[in-house]
Amino acid sequence: MKEKIRLFLETDLLESYLLGNTTTEETLQVERYIAMYPEVRETYNELQSNLEAYAKMHAIKAPEGLKARILQKIKAQDAGRRKFRRFAIAASISAVMFAASAYFFYNQNLNLHQENAIVNTKIQNLEADMKQQLEDVRNQFIVLNNPQTRKVSIKGNKKAKDLKALAYINPVKKLSYINVQNLPQLPENQCYQMWAEVNGEMLNLGVIESADDKEKLRALPYAEDAVSYITIEPQGGNLTPTVQNIVANISY
Amino acid sequence: MSTLLEKHIVELLQERNDKAISLLYEHYGDTLYGVAHKVVRDEEMAQDVVQESFVKIWKKADSYDASKAKLFTWLFRITRNTAIDKLRSVNTKNDKEIQMDVSDVYNLGVHSIRPDLMDVRENLDKIESKYQIVLDALFFQGMTQQEASDELDIPLGTIKSRLKIGLRELKKLYGTSLALIIVVFSTF
Repeated sequence: MKEKIRLFLETDLLESYLLGNTTTEETLQVERYIAMYPEVRETYNELQSNLEAYAKMHAIKAPEGLKARILQKIKAQDAGRRKFRRFAIAASISAVMFAASAYFFYNQNLNLHQENAIVNTKIQNLEADMKQQLEDVRNQFIVLNNPQTRKVSIKGNKKAKDLKALAYINPVKKLSYINVQNLPQLPENQCYQMWAEVNGEMLNLGVIESADDKEKLRALPYAEDAVSYITIEPQGGNLTPTVQNIVANISY
Repeated sequence: MSTLLEKHIVELLQERNDKAISLLYEHYGDTLYGVAHKVVRDEEMAQDVVQESFVKIWKKADSYDASKAKLFTWLFRITRNTAIDKLRSVNTKNDKEIQMDVSDVYNLGVHSIRPDLMDVRENLDKIESKYQIVLDALFFQGMTQQEASDELDIPLGTIKSRLKIGLRELKKLYGTSLALIIVVFSTF
């Protein structure tokens, strides 16, 4: 071990390291020796003291003004750096703000597009709905205003004595309507449902809401010798009419 | 140099307080100027070197590691390397006019020191020039003993013994100045 240290000290590597003349590899080696061996550390510290002492002997009174120049240079450097830093901060803040607003507007644009699509569909639906209703009203008018239209008064059988309805049937235009004016109150788990037997086929015309507008005309499918029924069915309607629960029928 | 002051300066440096530079200059300015002058042998160039070195010291403050080197060692390395770089850049500029060998960058010996600079160097005179030459080779030129032996045409053994005596003389000198400081301080 002693031999190893002696050999190391003989290489002058420590002296080169002292002056900062070693390569990265040599530096690592020297630092390892300094850390590991007290003798090397001691030699290094002594070299440092000697260097300082010897260098101090070479001190020359530096010219007046050199200190001021150095301090000025350093202040200028720092100001430059600070200015750059301030600029960098400002730049990053505006970059972040730009990114945020870009994202915000992109999002808003996306939302507006979606809203636009929704509104468009709504308008289309409304238009279709209005056309349908207009068509309906026109047909109703044709039926009601036509001298060939028969008006049939319908009364409920004994299961629904208070049921009153009017049917308008026009065989020429092949249109028919029904206006349910009064429906007796039903228990909550039951409802009235309309049916029509057209060409031997039973059609479900839907549940009649008791809250329905009394002026409302329901279209009936028209056919020669068609029969419509009103039945009492469980709440929500049935798939096929319950024959024993027929409360009214209209043949036209 | 008191380690307490060194510590204080290092702390200020790492806090990036420019007071550190003021203190560094007050305590090491003349020495570093002397070091720069020793390498470049020109007053104006030496001033530039010191100025550039201080800027480097300020910029590299974070890289100073007190566990690896004394503050002065670090300052010396920066100043000496700055001086060598300066000299090299000047030499490359002048290369076409004067062919200068890199090994001629340093003129060995102390004969070129101007008389008006000598007063602050009283102590230096107390070391015989034959020892100074070897010390210069070690501390300023960064030569290995073998290189010094080749360069100076002095046997390696003589280099070794002169270095040993030179260092002993040096220690004697800064030992006494240190003792003197202690005496001066204790009288107050």
